Amino acid sequence: MASEDLFEFSEDLDLEQAMETEAEEPGETEEPSEVIEETPENPPTEATTEPVADKPVTNGHKASGDHEAKMTQLPLARIRNIMKLDPDMHMANNEAVFTVAKAVELFIASLSRESYTYTAQSKKKTIQKRDVEMAISAVDSLMFLDGAMNF
Amino acid sequence: MVERIEDLNLPNSVIARIIKESLPESASVSKEARAAIARAASVFAIFVTSSSTALAHKQNHKTITAKDILQTLAELDFESFVPSLTQDLEIYRKMVKEKKEIKASKKDTSTAENANASTAAAAEDATE
Repeated sequence: MASEDLFEFSEDLDLEQAMETEAEEPGETEEPSEVIEETPENPPTEATTEPVADKPVTNGHKASGDHEAKMTQLPLARIRNIMKLDPDMHMANNEAVFTVAKAVELFIASLSRESYTYTAQSKKKTIQKRDVEMAISAVDSLMFLDGAMNF
Repeated sequence: MVERIEDLNLPNSVIARIIKESLPESASVSKEARAAIARAASVFAIFVTSSSTALAHKQNHKTITAKDILQTLAELDFESFVPSLTQDLEIYRKMVKEKKEIKASKKDTSTAENANASTAAAAEDATE
């Protein structure tokens, strides 16, 4: 379902918009698909396009749509909002947002693994907050987190 | 811009899943630790963004691109992320391109069985 949305919206909105829409509009395609005949003014088109566009085309789309849905686990719209917190940032293209999202995913995974080494050292299985803090203070590239973590 | 402050948090469920996938089966993570990792992730996103912004400005372009992000990551000592990101980016580009092509072919075809589709597409354009 989300994948269909992706496909639908990213087609017609400008690219940037499409990214923002992605996470926020699941569900619109769920309406039952009556076939639209000729009327371009017909309001329910948005919801029905997919089923109507149909067979050969849709199959292709679905595949790529699903694929995109799986490409980032984090919602791109959220990442974009976080990026916009930087007052100097005027614009970021979709690829940049995608790259940041993927980078954040890698970051979470590597911080977790790093933290877990401290957990394991103390013969535990559950990562505690202090393990994370120790990881942060031990790794040079995580210096930027100093002071951003305690509140 | 952002209406609620929660809109800036990364979704907990996703964070939890990524953490879980990166650890051995038997491992788990306390709530506080997960919150700390989530916060660190948000800070990381902002940090990378502002560094990329600075880089983009230095090169006199306003729009941050994937290239800026990758270059920034390398400079910030996260070059280990770059190869995997470059790969993902390639797939992403292909996918976006495919989508565009599909859209183009949809518009071009005037065959009978595609009539509905193009009508629908036109309608969609109209509603936009």
